[in-house]
Amino acid sequence: MNSNAAIEVTNLIKIYNNAASPAVNDISLTINKAAIYGLLGPNGAGKTTTISMLCGLIKPSSGSGFVQGFNLNNQLEEIKKSIGVVPQEIALYPTLTAFENLQYIGNMYGLKGADLKQKIAEHLKIVGLDNVSNKRIETFSGGMKRRINLIAGILHTPKILFLDEPTVGVDVQSRNMITEHLHLLNKQGMTIVYTSHLMEEAENLCSDIAIIDTGKIITQGKPKELIQQHNCSNLEQLFLQLTGKKLRD
Amino acid sequence: MFLMPMAMITIMALIQDAPFKDYQEMKIPLLLVNNDTGSLGKSIEKGLIDSKIFEINKETLTDDVVKQKVKAGDFEIGIIIPKNATAQLNQNVDLFVTKKLAAAGLGDSTVSETATTEALNLSILFAPDTKKSFKISILNSLKQSTSKIETQTLLAFFSKELNKDSEQINKEEPLAEFVNFNEVTTIETPTEALQLNSVQHNVPAWTIFGIFFIVISMAGSIIKERDDGSFLRIRTMPGSFMTVLAGKITAYLFITIIQALLMLLVGMYLLPLLGLPHLIIGNSLLGIAIIIICTGLAATGFGVMVGTIFKTHQQSSTFGAVSVVILAALGGIWVPVYVMPESVRILSEFSPLYWSLSGFHKLFLNQGTVISILPYAGKLILFFIAMLSISFFYNKKD
Repeated sequence: MNSNAAIEVTNLIKIYNNAASPAVNDISLTINKAAIYGLLGPNGAGKTTTISMLCGLIKPSSGSGFVQGFNLNNQLEEIKKSIGVVPQEIALYPTLTAFENLQYIGNMYGLKGADLKQKIAEHLKIVGLDNVSNKRIETFSGGMKRRINLIAGILHTPKILFLDEPTVGVDVQSRNMITEHLHLLNKQGMTIVYTSHLMEEAENLCSDIAIIDTGKIITQGKPKELIQQHNCSNLEQLFLQLTGKKLRD
Repeated sequence: MFLMPMAMITIMALIQDAPFKDYQEMKIPLLLVNNDTGSLGKSIEKGLIDSKIFEINKETLTDDVVKQKVKAGDFEIGIIIPKNATAQLNQNVDLFVTKKLAAAGLGDSTVSETATTEALNLSILFAPDTKKSFKISILNSLKQSTSKIETQTLLAFFSKELNKDSEQINKEEPLAEFVNFNEVTTIETPTEALQLNSVQHNVPAWTIFGIFFIVISMAGSIIKERDDGSFLRIRTMPGSFMTVLAGKITAYLFITIIQALLMLLVGMYLLPLLGLPHLIIGNSLLGIAIIIICTGLAATGFGVMVGTIFKTHQQSSTFGAVSVVILAALGGIWVPVYVMPESVRILSEFSPLYWSLSGFHKLFLNQGTVISILPYAGKLILFFIAMLSISFFYNKKD
C-alpha cells in the first residue's frame, strides 16, 4: 500500500443478493491522506455502496483494499475505530437530547468523563448549537439535525471522515457552516471522503473527485484539471457530459 | 396480511374443537398396569380400548412408579388392576350368590347370613391438576365398562346355582358392587391438593402471554431505529452487532421481569379481594425466577428476529401479534393442552409459551423444584439462541 494513501482499493465489486447487475463494478481508487475526495454520480450510481464498503458496513463481493492501513476484508473493527461516518440519514436517537446523543456516541468510541463533555461543548459551540444541547433531536430543524449528525461523526477525531450527502435538504446557512467546518477539519489533517449531488459545492470543497456511474468510475482526478481536460466551464457541465442528461430514478 | 389470519383461524378452530367435543371423541393418555391374568383384567382392558377415549400405554410397573408418572403429568390417568383380580371377583360373586340362595332356603345352608363380600378395589390415579368434573366423567365411563363383566359373572353364578333351585331368590335385595375404582391420591402435601382453578391457570398463562407481547414493541423499536438511522449509526461504530443487541435485550428483559412480577402479585393479592382464589406459587422462588427470565429471553429473542426480518412496522406488528396469539393458543393459554386434539398436542410441543406454561404449572401445581423445570428452561434458552442466530445471519446476508 502507498504510504501516502489513506484509502487504496483494487477491483472492488459488490453484487447484492438477487440483483441483476453489480451495484459496484470493479472500482479501483487511491485517496491520499488529508485529501477531500468527492465521489460524485447520479442516483443509483453506486456511491453509497462504495462508501458503505469503505466504512465496513457491507462486505465486498470481491476485491481488496486498505483503509488507514487496515484490510477491508478482515479488519473491519479496526477500520471502524479509525474512521468517522456521517450518513445520509439523520443517524441519531430522536427522543434523546443533542447532548445525550453525543454522549452515547462518544462513549461507544471510548470517550468519557470531563474530556468527552468538553469535546461535546466545543463542537456544539462551533456549529452554533450550544444553547440547545438539552433539547430533544426530534424538536430540531433539518439543518440543526444535520449539524449534530456531523458532530456525531467527528467527535472522536477520526483519521478519515466519510460523508454521504451531508448537506442534502439543508438551508444555505447550515450548508455553509458545514462546508466551512469540513475545510477546518481537513486543514487539521483529516482525510474526507464525500458524496454529493451538488456540483458547485463539490467543486469548491474537493481536492480530488471521481465521477461514478453504473457502478464504474468513469473519470477521476483534480476537479480543475478534469474540467480543463474535457473543455468544460464547470464541474456540473463535466458531470452532465460524462453521465448524460437522461433522468435517473 | 392473508396467511397469518388463515393460519390463526385453522389453529383456533382445531384447539377450540376439543372443549366442544364429548370426552368420547378425545384421546386421554392413560397408563394401565394390568397385573391380573384372568377375564376381569382382559375385560377392563378391552372396555378401555373399545371406549376410544384413551390413548392406552400398557406397562408393568410398581404402584409407586405409576403414582410418580401420573403425578408428573406424563399421564392424565393411571389404572392398576391387582393380581388375581378375576379370582377375587369370582370368589366374591360366588359367596354373594351362595349367601342369597341360602337366605332363600336354597343351596348351601351352611353359609352364614353374616358372611360378607369385600369389593375388589382397582386403583385409579389422576394427575394433580385434573378437574373434578373430568374425574367424574372418567369414573362413570370406567364403571360402565366393568359393570358388564360384573353382571356376566353374577349371571353365570346364579345360573349355576339356579340349576339347583330357582324359585326363592330375594329379589328385593340389591345386588352388591363387586368392582370398585378406588381413587389413589397423587397428592402428598396439603398444597399439592391445589386444583387447576381459574387463577392458577390464568395468572401464569396471561403473564406469559403478556411477556410475549413485548415482541411487538421490541420489533417496532428495531424497525424504528432502522428507519430513523440510529441503527446505521450503531453499525458504523466499533463493537459487534451482538454486543449492541445484548444491551437492547437486557433492557427489554428487565421490562418483562417487572411485568411478570406485577402480574403474579395481582394473582396473589388483588384477585382474592375480588372473591377469587389466591394464587399459590409453590415453594421454589428460584424456579420462578428462572422460568420468568427464560420466558423473557425467549420473547425478546423472538422480538429481535421479527424486527430484523420484517421491513415495516405494519408487517412486524401484524406478524408479531398473530404469531404470538397462535403460539399462545397452541401453548394452552386459552384451553389446557391435554384437552386438545392429538394433532394439535403435537404442535403444542413446539410452542415456547407451552414450555413456559408447563414450567409454571410444575412449580405452582406440582410443587416442582428447579430441577423439574430445567427441561422447559432449556428449551426456552435454545429458542432464544435460535432466534438470535437467525437474526445474526439475516443481518450478515448482504
